[in-house]
Amino acid sequence: MVSLILTWLIIAWGALACIYMLRCGWSRFPKRDVDVDDVVPFLYPVDISLAESLLDPAAEFEFRWKLGRLEFREAQRKRMRLYLEVTRRMAHNSKVLVQFADAEKNNQDPRRVLLASALQQKAIEVRLYSLMTRIRLRFWLLFRSDILNSMPVLSRLRTAGDIDGLQTYTALKTAAAAAFVQLQPEELDSLTRSL
Amino acid sequence: MNIVEFIPSCLLVVLLALLVRRRVYKALPYFFAYAAFAVGADIARFVTHSHRHLYYLTYWITEACYDFLGILVMYEVLHAVLGNLTRAWWARLIFPMVLVAGIGMSLARASAVPSRLSGPEFYIVIGEIAVRFVQVFVFAGLVTLVPVLGLRWRQYPFGVATGFGLYATIMLLTTTKFSDFGTRFKLLWGWTSLVAYSVAVLIWIWFFSVPQKLETPIAEISALSPGDLKQYKDALRRMR
Repeated sequence: MVSLILTWLIIAWGALACIYMLRCGWSRFPKRDVDVDDVVPFLYPVDISLAESLLDPAAEFEFRWKLGRLEFREAQRKRMRLYLEVTRRMAHNSKVLVQFADAEKNNQDPRRVLLASALQQKAIEVRLYSLMTRIRLRFWLLFRSDILNSMPVLSRLRTAGDIDGLQTYTALKTAAAAAFVQLQPEELDSLTRSL
Repeated sequence: MNIVEFIPSCLLVVLLALLVRRRVYKALPYFFAYAAFAVGADIARFVTHSHRHLYYLTYWITEACYDFLGILVMYEVLHAVLGNLTRAWWARLIFPMVLVAGIGMSLARASAVPSRLSGPEFYIVIGEIAVRFVQVFVFAGLVTLVPVLGLRWRQYPFGVATGFGLYATIMLLTTTKFSDFGTRFKLLWGWTSLVAYSVAVLIWIWFFSVPQKLETPIAEISALSPGDLKQYKDALRRMR
């Protein structure tokens, strides 16, 4: 009986995937190629120093030490919400860069294709990290802090699935600077500020 | 033999020619081997068709080879997509886990629905159903990653997974839903299998009809020009 239910679930998953691919094929997504002008204005700045301070175990220990139980709980929830916003921006920026790298891979210059591949790999790693971290944060915000009555340690979110979030995001910025090397200095400045 | 039964074989020949033209044997050697084997297996089955014992032997040997190649192709597809995604240690466990889940599901199904086959044929059918489960897992899993990670769906490994995924989903559905049809099941299964496999080969032809650039190894790419290098260094300096 269990195996039959599982088989039906797997068939349904496969059928949904077929429908999704059919839709992709039908709509020919992505509809347009993303170029440099479609990148910089669409990025959200990520404050890496803020993220560093949120994930700093010493800062967290200090909060725990100085504040009362309820105050710490409230402060920790605020910090979690803040880090959720940071990861949301990371995920958004990496998606924009993945789309740019996809379009760039059609370029005739093999060096630009290689830089685009490196950018895409880093962007996907950041997206994977953001996804796993956001699931954990949402779970903590929804259940753990209220039901289990214990406060999660934010510094544990530095790595998720063996990916160091901040390190990978910095590597993504470096890869983006390499991929956009053909930009004018002021445009490159604007890109690095937006990331 | 009905002439309609030759449609998948003809389509496979077209696919093989396309794979040679696109030099897919470099990027996806196992899939190329699968397509070449499929053409060879169809010829062998056709040649032995009038010799009952020889055909029986050829049929089951080629089925076992299809199982083996099917697993290798799924490994290749996963490696091609996930190999570029993450170098985390757990990424290497994905394929063994999928394989174990597929075999587990096939064995569970075999214990729930007893088979009339015995001996090597029984194990080949178990393997075949396990491969179908693995194909659906890999296909559906990869398609789930497209919207989640923002991956490009129009690439060769996704095309291979889509063809196999569609065929495997339809075959699992047919085997699960219609097995209580009795003798009518065999006819229905045969026709569904023929149509689904033809559609799968058409999907592969569609994906491989568009040329896709193979990534150039780093060693073959010339170094940055001094101007580009200076600009790159300046950008990094400003970033820090």
